[in-house]
Amino acid sequence: MPNITVDNETLEFDGRPRLLQLCLETGVDLPHFCYHPAMSAPANCRQCLVEVGTPQINRETGKPNLDENGQPIIQFMPKLQTSCSMDASDGMVVRTHKSSELVKRAQKDNLEFLLINHPLDCPICDQAGHCPLQNQTYKHGPEGSRFEFRKVSKPKQIDLGPRVVLDGERCINCTRCIRFTDEISESHQLTIIERGVRNYPMTPPGVEFDEPYSMNVIDICPVGALTSKDSRFRARTWEMSKTASISTVNARGSNCYYWVKDNKIVEITPRTNMDVNEYWLADEDRLDYRIFNDNRPLGPTISGADVNWDAAYKAVADCLKGAKGDRVQFLGSAFATVEDNYLLSKLATAVGASTPMYLTHTEAGRGDTWLRTDDRTPNSQGCERLGFQPANRSALRSLIQSGGLDVLYVLEDDPVASGLCSAEDLAGVKVVLHYYNSTNQTLPAADVAIPAATAVETVGTLVNDQGHAQRLRPAKSIAGVNRTLSMEIGKCRADRHGTPFDKWYDESNLINCQPGWVSIPRIASDLNIEMNYKGPRNIMAELSSANDAFAGATYEAMGEFGVRLSEIGVTA
Amino acid sequence: MDDKKTKAGDWRSYQRVLLPPVKDLHKLDVYEKHEGYKALREVLTTDKWNPTSVTNEVKKSGLKGRGGAGFPTGLKWSFMPPVDPNIPRFLCCNGDESEPGTFKDRQLMEYNPHLVFEGMLIASYAMSIKTGYLYIRGEFADWITLMEEELEKAYAKGYVGKNIMGSGYSCDIVIHKGAGAYICGEESSLMSSLEGQRAYPRVKPPFPAQKGIWGYPTTINNVETLACAPLIINKGGEWFSKIGAPSHPGPVLYGISGHVNRPGVFEYPTGMLITDLINEVAGGMRGGKKLKALIPGGSSTPILRADMIEGVTMDADSLREAGSMMGTSGMLIMDEDVDIVSWLRRITHFYHHESCGQCTPCREGTGWLENIVTRLDEGQGQLRDLDILLDLCTQMEGRTVCALADAAAWPVRYTIDRFRSEFEAKCSTETVPSGGVLETA
Repeated sequence: MPNITVDNETLEFDGRPRLLQLCLETGVDLPHFCYHPAMSAPANCRQCLVEVGTPQINRETGKPNLDENGQPIIQFMPKLQTSCSMDASDGMVVRTHKSSELVKRAQKDNLEFLLINHPLDCPICDQAGHCPLQNQTYKHGPEGSRFEFRKVSKPKQIDLGPRVVLDGERCINCTRCIRFTDEISESHQLTIIERGVRNYPMTPPGVEFDEPYSMNVIDICPVGALTSKDSRFRARTWEMSKTASISTVNARGSNCYYWVKDNKIVEITPRTNMDVNEYWLADEDRLDYRIFNDNRPLGPTISGADVNWDAAYKAVADCLKGAKGDRVQFLGSAFATVEDNYLLSKLATAVGASTPMYLTHTEAGRGDTWLRTDDRTPNSQGCERLGFQPANRSALRSLIQSGGLDVLYVLEDDPVASGLCSAEDLAGVKVVLHYYNSTNQTLPAADVAIPAATAVETVGTLVNDQGHAQRLRPAKSIAGVNRTLSMEIGKCRADRHGTPFDKWYDESNLINCQPGWVSIPRIASDLNIEMNYKGPRNIMAELSSANDAFAGATYEAMGEFGVRLSEIGVTA
Repeated sequence: MDDKKTKAGDWRSYQRVLLPPVKDLHKLDVYEKHEGYKALREVLTTDKWNPTSVTNEVKKSGLKGRGGAGFPTGLKWSFMPPVDPNIPRFLCCNGDESEPGTFKDRQLMEYNPHLVFEGMLIASYAMSIKTGYLYIRGEFADWITLMEEELEKAYAKGYVGKNIMGSGYSCDIVIHKGAGAYICGEESSLMSSLEGQRAYPRVKPPFPAQKGIWGYPTTINNVETLACAPLIINKGGEWFSKIGAPSHPGPVLYGISGHVNRPGVFEYPTGMLITDLINEVAGGMRGGKKLKALIPGGSSTPILRADMIEGVTMDADSLREAGSMMGTSGMLIMDEDVDIVSWLRRITHFYHHESCGQCTPCREGTGWLENIVTRLDEGQGQLRDLDILLDLCTQMEGRTVCALADAAAWPVRYTIDRFRSEFEAKCSTETVPSGGVLETA
């Protein structure tokens, strides 16, 4: 296998990786700004300079010349080379800042240059705390500045488009944003204008930076030049906790981080998963977080009156107890997790009702060939795999209107708002509703309303439109004590902040709600139906062995990046 | 003057070939009467020539690029990959002449445009190229108009275009007008500009011969370089190689500016003594003043003090020995009245203004250099500023995609190196505390 030597350590590689990428993947921390693995390498930041040598090849034999010890003679290039623009080749010898004073000096010099015209506004900059320029300056930069002149003035607070704001002075001209619009999204909505030290990114005249993936440039910006109009100045990085989970806005389930401050979602950023969304996240995935924060329920209600949880569970059990199985309709939910839908189907079977159906939510034209889908729910494929059929809306509506139903059990959905039937149609039907927001239009017609934990408060599994089963992790806490959730929060947060055991824990904005895997087994127990699970992990373990459509989808296997399930109907 | 040291031989009786003294030579009919397109005809219609033999003849001539870097032209042509009929390949003639002190290509374009076209066609034939671009800087508006008019006439006469002179060889020439940026003279930046992109230089490798304009094999030559090609065909590579300095042969357009009695563009062989050029060709120092310093080949080549030029000739070897470079042979002559710090201030301003801003060291460094040199020029500088300047030069040189950072750093480095006392004399006598600035190692 071909190999290179970096700082006297041998690294093996396959193919023709770029030297910088190879170093980063094997743990050699080379500073860099403009390089991004998904894009071309213009080598313009000049931060990743290294000394590179290659074996001296004998022109006659085509083989390396050897020295007196039998080792190949290495010829170093006269100038430092940018490792981002260089392919690794067999026998290459590289010296980084760890073994070369020259490289160390070059990295320091380059940072000095980058900083002379960079404003010292870190105390008010959103990027501070997770800023590559800040971090690399701490690691490799000079201790002070020799620059004694006015910094260059450039436009600030420019709205490039509806969602992205530019601070020209912070820009270090890495052109990542330009290359994103040229090479990745191909919207070509950004370019560099002006020349030399006055350069900054801008839209062409008359063009707005409004493509549906515009906010990715904020994440790839190595400084705070591009910020989110939505979340800028709302929280400092270190005031937030960050949880690796998945987006639930559409059926793709793009991997993301939820950033939480005071138990409110502040921002959603992409998480790299090469099988699903690579490095990117659509703007819609980032901006639809208000359902997690606003208009949340205060607690369970019976016919609109506040009750305690025990009373609510008992009321649901009473509804189901008196009803004949064929006059009870369970509606599963493409918003809810596989686990919750699975428990619902068990409940339905136990009370003699038919397999739950689910409501589809699609909007033609919302999807594209990339990360957005027409399907506006995160788990319709999960429902399908559980054997749920999409509800035949007109048939179900006639059934409700003709008085053919005694109980309509709705898991985490809104039949009225989705146009299945009106609230009046439901007057003669007992409605049990698990819901997220008090704006739910079925709520006035609900006999028993159970506040449900949203995707950022629960543990569970969603299956995206490509059959990729992925785990949801709790980004924020709910009211009350739930050992499973607390354990998961502590386990899955990269920063370990926000658990009840550390000082960042916040009591504010806790929602009085329950995940389906807590509420449904409680209802079952009131009905004397056996439904004993230690938690969602066990539910999924059972499902993955019992149902071929979920074969292999254990929590352990899904881990951070999920597993690709076999096609429906195909045995793994 | 001691003629023994000149490598230009009997230069006083030199017959001009690039810019011969012929009235209205820019007109096609006049050009035709003076062996115009004869070389092209010979190359295209006689069996003596094929692409390889043309390239070999140019190699034999020893012609080195006249655009500044002085790379052997024939060798450059032979870097083009083998012909693949499905892959287009391009020639580009670099007429983006914009180095301060350089003004020779525009003379060719004004007085002998057809020689440039003929040179482009011969080079295209040698590399089996079917499209040649002539990139002219936007400021040369008059010359662009003139070149376009003359090109049209050449098309009408069948010297350019389809089936040239019935030989079956077709080649188009496209004149492209730049928008006025020094950086566009850098070959990879020129290609970006030609493609309609922002003129950022590209990382090499891949070199233009592998991946040039629109990703296809491309060769880029200077106007004066290509203008030599018809001469080499007409009179032979051997004739060419015997003109001037053997290691750097050929006729050269010396652009002499500054404090001389007769500034202008002069065609002479390479290897001319600098003293000959100043004292005889350019008519001596203006007002009888003493020579203080000179730039031999455009503003980015290292400055030479008057006492460094004795016996130095204008060719790569001799100038390297003297501590400078041939560059574009645009000589800038400065007399004893010149304030060298002030001069450097203007030069640093130029590079600051013209840095494209792609690479960090150049984008930030050029401005910083100007800041400090300006402060020195205004008498506000400190001695430590000189050390910072030299440090910044080290931080810029060889650390960028293209050579503009080097071009910007060298004038500073060599001017301080060779005129340090003048900088020290201009430093403020007041001791100013460093303002709490930490020293960096």
